[in-house]
This record gives sequence, C-alpha cells and structure tokens, in this order.
Amino acid sequence: MLRLLSILAVIGYVVCAIPINSNLVNKNVDRIIDLNSQLVKVTASITLENTGKDPVSNVLIFMEPDAQGALAFISAQDALKEDLKLEPIKVDGINDAYDVKLRQPLNQGRTAGITVEYVYTDALQPYPNSISQKDRQLVRYFGNHYFYSPYKTVKQTTTVMLNSRDIESYTKLKPVSQQDTTITYGPYNNIESLTVDQLIVHYENNAPFLTVTRIERLIEISHWGNIAVQENTEIYHSGAKLKGPFSRYDYQRDSSSSHHSIKAYHTVLPAAAHSIYYRDSNGNISTSQVRPRKDWIELELRPRFPLFGGWKSSYTLGYSVPSYQYLFKTNNNQYVLKMRLLDHVFDDMHVNELETSIVLPVGVKNVQLKTPYPVQRLDDEVTYKYLDNLGRMIIKLRKENLVEQHIQDLEITYDWQSVLLLHEPILLSLALYALFVFVIIYVRLDFSIHKPDHSKTQ
Amino acid sequence: MADFDSMTRYVSPVNPAIFPHLTFVLLGIGIFFTAWFFVYEVTSTKLSRDIKKELLLSLVASIFSGFGILFLLLTVGIYV
Amino acid sequence: MIQAGTKKPPTSKLNNKTGISSLIIFVVLLLAWIAGFSSRLFAVIRFESIIHEFDPWFNYRATAYMVKHGFYNFLNWFDERAWYPLGRIVGGTVYPGLMITSGTPIFSGLTAISTYLLTKELWSVGAGLFAACFIAIVPGYISRSVAGSYDNEGIAIFALQFTYFLWVKSVKTGSIFWACMSALSYFYMVSAWGGYVFIINLIPLHVFVLILMGRFSNKVFTSYTTFYILGLLLSMQVPFVGFQPIRTSEHMAASGVFALSIAVAVLKYLQSVLSKSEFKSLFIFGVLTSSAVVFFTVVVLTYTGYIAPWSGRFYSLWDTGYAKIHIPIIASVSEHQPTTWFSFFFDLHILVTTFPAGLWYCIKNINDERVFVVLYALSAVYFAGVMVRLMLTLTPVVCMLSGIAFSGLLDLFFKEDAIQRPEEIEPEESSAVSSKLYDKAGRVPKMKHEQQPRETDPIGPNVRSIILVVIMLLLMLFAVHCTWVTSNAYSSPSVVLASYSADGSRQILDDFREAYFWLSQNTADHARVMSWWDYGYQIAGMANRTTLVDNNTWNNSHIALVGKAMSSNESAAYEIMTALDVDYVLVIFGGVIGYSGDDINKFLWMVRIAEGEHPKDIRESDYFTENGEFRVDSQGAPTLLNCLMYKLSYYRFGELKLDYRTAAGYDRTRNTVIGNKDFTLTYLEEAYTTEHWLVRIYRVKKPDEFNRPRIPVANRLVKSSSFSSKKNSKRKKGSIKNKPVVIKGKRLSKQS
Repeated sequence: MLRLLSILAVIGYVVCAIPINSNLVNKNVDRIIDLNSQLVKVTASITLENTGKDPVSNVLIFMEPDAQGALAFISAQDALKEDLKLEPIKVDGINDAYDVKLRQPLNQGRTAGITVEYVYTDALQPYPNSISQKDRQLVRYFGNHYFYSPYKTVKQTTTVMLNSRDIESYTKLKPVSQQDTTITYGPYNNIESLTVDQLIVHYENNAPFLTVTRIERLIEISHWGNIAVQENTEIYHSGAKLKGPFSRYDYQRDSSSSHHSIKAYHTVLPAAAHSIYYRDSNGNISTSQVRPRKDWIELELRPRFPLFGGWKSSYTLGYSVPSYQYLFKTNNNQYVLKMRLLDHVFDDMHVNELETSIVLPVGVKNVQLKTPYPVQRLDDEVTYKYLDNLGRMIIKLRKENLVEQHIQDLEITYDWQSVLLLHEPILLSLALYALFVFVIIYVRLDFSIHKPDHSKTQ
Repeated sequence: MADFDSMTRYVSPVNPAIFPHLTFVLLGIGIFFTAWFFVYEVTSTKLSRDIKKELLLSLVASIFSGFGILFLLLTVGIYV
Repeated sequence: MIQAGTKKPPTSKLNNKTGISSLIIFVVLLLAWIAGFSSRLFAVIRFESIIHEFDPWFNYRATAYMVKHGFYNFLNWFDERAWYPLGRIVGGTVYPGLMITSGTPIFSGLTAISTYLLTKELWSVGAGLFAACFIAIVPGYISRSVAGSYDNEGIAIFALQFTYFLWVKSVKTGSIFWACMSALSYFYMVSAWGGYVFIINLIPLHVFVLILMGRFSNKVFTSYTTFYILGLLLSMQVPFVGFQPIRTSEHMAASGVFALSIAVAVLKYLQSVLSKSEFKSLFIFGVLTSSAVVFFTVVVLTYTGYIAPWSGRFYSLWDTGYAKIHIPIIASVSEHQPTTWFSFFFDLHILVTTFPAGLWYCIKNINDERVFVVLYALSAVYFAGVMVRLMLTLTPVVCMLSGIAFSGLLDLFFKEDAIQRPEEIEPEESSAVSSKLYDKAGRVPKMKHEQQPRETDPIGPNVRSIILVVIMLLLMLFAVHCTWVTSNAYSSPSVVLASYSADGSRQILDDFREAYFWLSQNTADHARVMSWWDYGYQIAGMANRTTLVDNNTWNNSHIALVGKAMSSNESAAYEIMTALDVDYVLVIFGGVIGYSGDDINKFLWMVRIAEGEHPKDIRESDYFTENGEFRVDSQGAPTLLNCLMYKLSYYRFGELKLDYRTAAGYDRTRNTVIGNKDFTLTYLEEAYTTEHWLVRIYRVKKPDEFNRPRIPVANRLVKSSSFSSKKNSKRKKGSIKNKPVVIKGKRLSKQS
C-alpha cells in the first residue's frame, strides 16, 4: 500500500514543473531522530554525489506528505557549518518542499556534505490519551524508516533517541538493534527516491509536554533610557489527559523526579533585566526564583498549581532592560531597535501563537521593519499611555507554530527628533500653570449677593 | 543588515542614576515657589494684588513642579 | 508634626501672620493626609496590592461590571452567577456610592479635612488640627480603610463627617445654602453605607433636645426643615433605599421631629402675637396634643403594618440577645459580638482617656452645636459597646473631643496672658493683638488687674514645660502605637497568609488564590460551586464561577439548605446537591497547617442555621458527644464522623503523617488524631487540593459515574402489565424443540 503511494507520488511529481536532477545521489545519510522532549527533532547528515556531467548548485529537500504534526523549523548547513539558504517551493503532493542553494556548485563526480535540521511539533501522540495520576505517560511516534528524498539513497542509517529504557514497542525492519535508550535502524542500502515505510515507536516520555497556546509580547521603548518588556502567556499541558481524581496526598508522596505533571520550568532572561514581576489575574505569584548566571538571568517559574494533562494556566511576566542594550542611533536622527521577536520561555518549547507588539515613542516617522523569518503583520494601532495627548504607534506582528530556534532578532528603524522628549514635562507644566491661572481668576471673583459694610473674610 | 558599526548605542540624555537627586531638587524648588504663591494669595487684598507678580510666580512654580513631577515618575519606574 | 499646629510663632509681623498661619494650617493638614495615606499602605508594602477579606471582592466585581456596562445597566443588573438558582438583584441591594467614587486611602485624607472643619466649627482651629491629625492615624478607622479594604465604610466615614460639618454650619448660620449642601452630602452618605440610619436619627434627636432645652430658634427651624425634606427626597433616589424612609420605623423619628418642629414654630409665632397668659395655656395644650398625635399616628401605623417594625439588624442593637435566638446568621459573624475593653484601648489608645475630658469641656460651655456633639458622643458610645463593628462610628467623635480636650489643655498652659479674657472662637489672633496692646499700655494697671487671676496661676514656666513634655510624650506614644497596630494587626489581607519559620524568614501561603485560579482555569465556565457563604464573594471575584450562597446572606433558607447538605451524610447530601445542580464543592481545611478559621471550626454554625429551617432532619445535639463536647477524634459523635463536611475535610487525611513523630491523621488545629480515617467517597471525587491542604475542591459525580446502589431483590424483576396465557385448547400440549428421537437399536443421529 505504501509502495503504491510512493509510486503515485513519483508519477505525480513528474507532472509538476520542478526538474529533479536524477544524477544527484545521496551517497550516505545519517539521520538522528531525537524524541527526548515534546518535539521531534531530526538531524540528517547527507553526503551528496553528483553522478552526472553538469555541475549542480541546488538540492531539493522533501518532507513526508502525511507526516504527523506540523513542521515548525528547518535549516541547512554545509560541511563547514556555514548556513545555506533554504527556499520553500511548491511541489504537488508534498506539503513541505525546500530548495537548498549550495555555496559552490558540485562538479561531476564530487561529493558534498550538508546537514539538515528540522523540528516537528504536535508529532508525538499520547497513547493512551487519558491516564490517571499514577500511570506512566506513553506516546507514539509515527515516522519513516527511510529518508524521504527525491534522490536515490545508496546507504542510510537512522538512530532514534528516546529518554527511557522502557520501550513498549517499535517497528522492526531488519537490521535493527536497541541499546539502552537508542534504537538503531540500518544500514539500508539502495533505497529508491520517495519511499515511505512507516516507523512507529511507542515509549514512555515524561518530558514536559507544555504547549504555550498564546504568548503576547509587548515591548515599550522610552527614550528616557528604558525598554519595558511584558509577556502574557497561556500554557497548556498537551500530554495525556488526566482522568479521575487528583489526590494531593499521592502527589506529595510521589517524590520521583520524572513525572508527567509539570511542576516548574526555567526561563532565561537577558542579563541586564531588572524589576522582574510575575503575576496573574489574581495577583502576584510568589513561587518563583531568580538566579543570576554569568551571561543571563535564570528565572525558575512555578505555576500556582502543578499542570496535569488537559490543565491550563496563564501568567504575566515582565521586566525592564536599559535602552543602551538594544537601541542604536545613527547620525541623522535615525534609531534602530534590535530585539528578539520571541524570547525563551522554556527549553524545547512549542508556541502555538505569538503576537509581538512594539510601542514606539511619540512622534516617530518613517518606520521600517526587518524580520528574520516571515511573519504576518497586523494593522498598526495607536495607544495612549501616561502623559500622551498624541498617541503612540504600535507595530503588531503575528506568527504561529514556533520553537526555540525561532528566537532571533528583529530590527525596527524609525526617525525621531530628540527635542520631542521635552513634550512630557512641558505638558505637565502647562497643566499646572492652567491650575494657577484658574486660582488667580477665582480670587478676583465676587459671589456675594449684597455687600455689607464690614465683610469678615473667613 | 543595518550597518551597526557606524551606529552608537543610544543612552538617555539624563543619566538615570541622578533621577532621584534631580527629583528632590526640582520638586523642592517647585514646592517653595508654590508655597510663596499661596501665601501671597492669602495675605493680599483686592487692592494690593499685582497680577504680574502672580503670573510670574505661578509660571516659575509650574515649570519647576512640572519637571519635578516628570523626574519623580521616572525615579519610581514609570518610564513615560 | 502634631505640635506645629498649636505652637504658632507668637511675635511675627501682623500682615504676614494670617499668611503664615494659613500656610501652617495647610501644611499640617497636608502632612496629616500624607501620614494617613502612607500608614494605610502597609498592606501593600508587606504583601502586595490585593483586595482583602471577603466583602471587598464583591465591591470590586460590582465596580468592574459598572465600568464595563455603564451606570444605568449597573442599576438594573441581575446577577445570575450568585445565589444559584435564585440569582440576585444587585442593582436593588447594593449601595452604589462606593462603586462610583473609589480610592479609599485618599478618602482618609478627605476625612481628616472634614473632621478639621467640623471641629473648627465646634471649638477652634487648634482643636481642629488636633482632631484631623488624630483621625488620620487612629487604628479604629484605619482597620476599615487600608489600601485593599475596598469596603463601604472607607468612604462612608468621610461622608458622615462632612454631613455633620455642613449640618453644624447650617445650624450656626441658619442659611438655606448650608442646609441644602448638608442634604446633598446626606444623599452621598445614603448611597455609600447602610449606616446612614445613624445620621437620620441623630440629627432629629439633636433638634428634639434643642427644643426641650428651649434653644429652638429660627435658624434651627430653617435648617432642619430644609434638610429633612431635601434629604428625604434625595435618599429615596437610591434604589436600595426606595420607599423605606416613609415606611420603616427607623426613619419615623425624623418625620416625627419634623412635625414637632413645625408645631413648635407655629406656637412660637403665636406667642409673639398673643398675650402671655393666653399663650401659656395654649402652649402647653398645643405641645401635648401635637406630640400625642404624632406618637399615636406612628404607633397606629406600625400596628396596622403599614410601617414596618425595626428590621432585625437594627433591632439587635437594642435587644442584644435577640439575634442569637432568632437570626443565627447575624449572631455568627464575629464582628457583631459585643466590644471588649481591649478593643477600645487597642483602637483608640489614649484618646479613650482624653475623650471624657473633651466631652466635659463641651458640656460646660454649651451652645447649639455643642449639644449636637454631646448627643453624638453618647449615642456612639452606646452603639460601640454593643457591636465591635460600630467602633468605627465612635472613632470620629472620640478624635474630635480629644482634639478639643488637648486644645483646651494647651490653651490653659500656654495662653496665660489671655486667661481672664472670655472664650472666643479664634483666640490666637485676638490674644496676640491684645497682649501686644496690653504690653504697650501701662504695666502697673495690668499687674493690679491681673493680681487675683495671677494668684490662681502660680504655675511658673517650669511646670508649663513639664506639662508640655508630658503631652508631647503622650502624643508620640499614641503615634507609635497607631503605627504599630496598623502595620501588625490591620494590614494582613486575609487572602494571603504569612507564617514565620524558625529562622525568621517569611513563608507565604497562597493556597486560596491557588485554588481559585485552578477553578477559573480548569473548570467549565458555567460550573456551579457550593461552599459556605463566607467564601462566596471571593469565589465570584477571583475564580469567576457561579456560587450558591455568598456574603450578602439575604436568603436564610438557601443558606440553611447548604448547611443541611454539609451536615448530612453523603447520600442525603447528594440528593440536595443534584437538586441544586452543583458541580463542585469547596471546603477550607486547616488541619495540616493549623489554620483555625476553617470549616470544621465553623461547622456548628452551619448546623444551627440548618436546624433553624429543618429542625426534623438536623439536630445540633446529634453532633456532640454524650458529655456535650464537640470532638472529631474516635470519641466523636457518629453523626459528626459521617457527615459530608467531615468526609470532605478529612478525605485521605488519615494516611498523612505530618512528621515522623506524630501519628497519621493528626489534626493540628484540633490537636487530636481524627476518628474516622479510612473511608471512601461514593458520590464525589477529589478534583484539587492545594499545597498545604487548605482548600479542597471536590467534583460531584453525575449519576452514571458511580457504582449503582444495590437494588433489593424484590425490585429487581421488571413487572410487566397483566399476563394472559396464549395457550388455547389446541396448543395446550407443549413441545420440546429438537427433541431427540430414540429408536431402539439405532444410533442417535447428530442433529444440530
């Protein structure tokens, strides 16, 4: 059945316009599938050989058409660890197809090595999907025994890394061996292009299955020397749902460190962050610890209650950083803000929806935006904060399905006159002056109905 | 990629370390002038009032108080 | 700071004197405001900015609703998320003043200013400044107005003082303007607090006493009639009050005095027209008939039921034993207990001792407005003795009279030049002027003139400075005490508990908010939570879920139903819970940390309230042992050890060992090992328990979830309707299907 599918895929592919260079061959592929966390991280080291006459400068990377979950991130590097440019292309029947541009064209008979890393989210399915408090959390991974590629693969090996020795079951396609927490598949020889053979691993995974359903990141720039960051986060435990009662007694007695419930996690904040606050709609959450490290500040956050499957929580985290860390100035009154679009929430995180808003100071003009990866830009808004009569502009950006590799900088450039900084104190002084003038006028008014001879002022 | 070598980091025109001191000085002067204005208003009668003195006093008082309140807000942490 | 108000520089330039003195008054009041405001911020500094207690959560939620939906919708709001399934008409049962003007600590400053104005009218500027400073920091008022205590009393005391100030001013001047202003201020007071009844009874009492003392004048007449009519009309605009001012006994005194004052005014007019003897008989006759008519009208109307008798809350002020027997809910609130001497001193410190001195000063130098303050003081003392909560109404008058006492004292010891002069409203200015004149005139006549008073004043400068030091010491002690009380006793938000461990570090117990947050995040939006009424407002405010009963306690039978559910065994309770559509049950359990305000300690009140409505099902004596003790250990009454509250509090607790020395199941609050340890719940399931077991939430199982109860044999057969046999003569002989046919000699053939 799967072979039929792959043949159909090949036929379907022939119909579309992108030419596949059939002279390009994967001489050796080493795939490492890391299933230690809630994400599926795959690193594929590919050695390509050009068996044809023409030099090749593009390589195509395909993802399985019916893969579980969603592809969140993909990157490619060459043998010298330099980044290669990846362009998404449209191919019929394939959801995610990418075109990698090599730095130097690959000549006839030569080999080149590239490393492709990609991350899938929501790919691990909890099975059974509801468990009681004492049960272990087991998940299933659906993959492919072979490396799915438009080129023929001469030799390939796949290593699956798990985080527990208890493996319920795994598909056995010879040769396969299991040591400790790794399963090694291969080597498989001479596999044709676009072949799919389903690989299923059912194992125990107690890593935190925490999904950030929504994070709203608000960055406020003040030219008095401070940038304030606030993140409103909603988190959700996306592992196996809890069925039955929650017993505090059993929870307190069970002191094992790996449990499918989530008690605390670590967030990394920039080293210069100060005035950190952690609260929710009910008030301040006191269960948090700040530990300054060498290059960053580690914040251990504990939600008010431990999260079990299907439970959710939300909180607000905020801090301030001095402006000289991230704000730069050119000679002709142009300013550039270089800050992270998404910041670290916890290791191996998975964010469903991110909305970043940047509040610019009053009176900026000519705003330009440069993002490290494509995002959706929402309409600009205007907000009024303290001492504002003209509004401040907000730039809003939105993106879905992000992981840790998306923590990159975004640049905003704008023009601004530094004399505008004075408009706030002048506004205050004018208001006070108006009050004084009112007093001056008031004492000159006379409200008496009739004028007595000696009016005693009180 | 913007040319970061030609750019300098932006620092505030007023050093944040002296915000509290500036607050005290400016607000103190502002309050002094406000008190002077208040006493003048209370002790003068209709005939002895001098509008120029009043306007000048209130102008000085409002300028100093306005800047003082701004630095007070900055000291507290409300970066306007 | 407190001294600056009275020690004005005696020899400064004349034309700058008013300027400097008014500047000093302004500075002192400003400092009093700032001091009052800052001392109310202790709770915010020590913990965080959170709303305290229980009632303020409802006010917060109501304000949020008003901000979101507008004032008109707020007045018409029907809250279906409270008192499920009855709902609550919020617009008609709430005093909207608080929601409109929020910001309680600021109001403390305004209260200080209005107290200053009121005392200035009564006595002098110096006394006013003293009173303002006292009321800014006195603990009796701070307890209800800290930052976070978002409750009606915070703004009501300001309205009270301001209304009294305007009333005194209008009695003094007799102007309609001031009377109208006092009616407007009274309207604000009515919209702010149910204690407005105090004003509407005290002011008519004042007028009545003035009539009796013969001090009735046109000024009093004008001010009272204007105030009464305008105040009546305005007070009826508040929906909660409605038509009560003309229908309830609490307001009848005002109407009675109104009629009486008109009668007296008529008589006084006639007095000026008729001759003396004619008038005398007419006067006596007129007074007697008018008061008799008024009195009998009120009695008749009350008797026929047109005017409602005194409501329970106010009746219990006169008859203190009434509430415990008839309305246990009112008796169960700790704030409604009688006041102890300890509370008086704790809340007022040395003002308690100086207050009678000030009262005596006022009585000695009586005039119209001081009559008012004397009546205010006497009635406030009585009410404060009846209920702890009413200490709040005593505090302003104590501050005022103590201010008068201190001012009088300082006058005596500092103004020895002005002793022989008659008492005036503002002695400083005139005394300073006069002393200068005295000095300039001949010395000899002055000495002769003052020879005799001088003999009564042999106290030299040494004694004066000793007195001054002693007074300063007292006032400083007072300030220290107030600050200490505020920071330690009145600044804890009861939602967040703090305990201090052995090494002095503070451990915060945030269990309440943990549980409410869990409720708000992990239950369905329309889920209904059953708990005791204490926590209703907090659940509605923080967890945003529908509750069955809350702190408003307006429906006693609904609360009794909840109490009955908590006191019955599990199956009876389940029936009640399914009838009320309950999804979750919340109990507070302090056995792990030793918290003494938990539901087991309140349990007897639940039983009493339930017994009041269902005396056949619940009997309080069932829950006591034979000796009459309330015990939860193995000697406890079996009804207690099997009721729902017990089971929900102690579920799985019997297995918990707090430390390795004590036995499992040791309850730290009751200091005993519990009696019934190993039991299971049939109809409920533990949904969440907080970290220190303080809040326990259970989910009520739906009928298809639990093991069905055993059906007795007699009911297991399904009885169908009358059975008639279909056998007729033809088919009477029955046949066995597939009957094997045995033929001798032949093998039995296999048939399917």
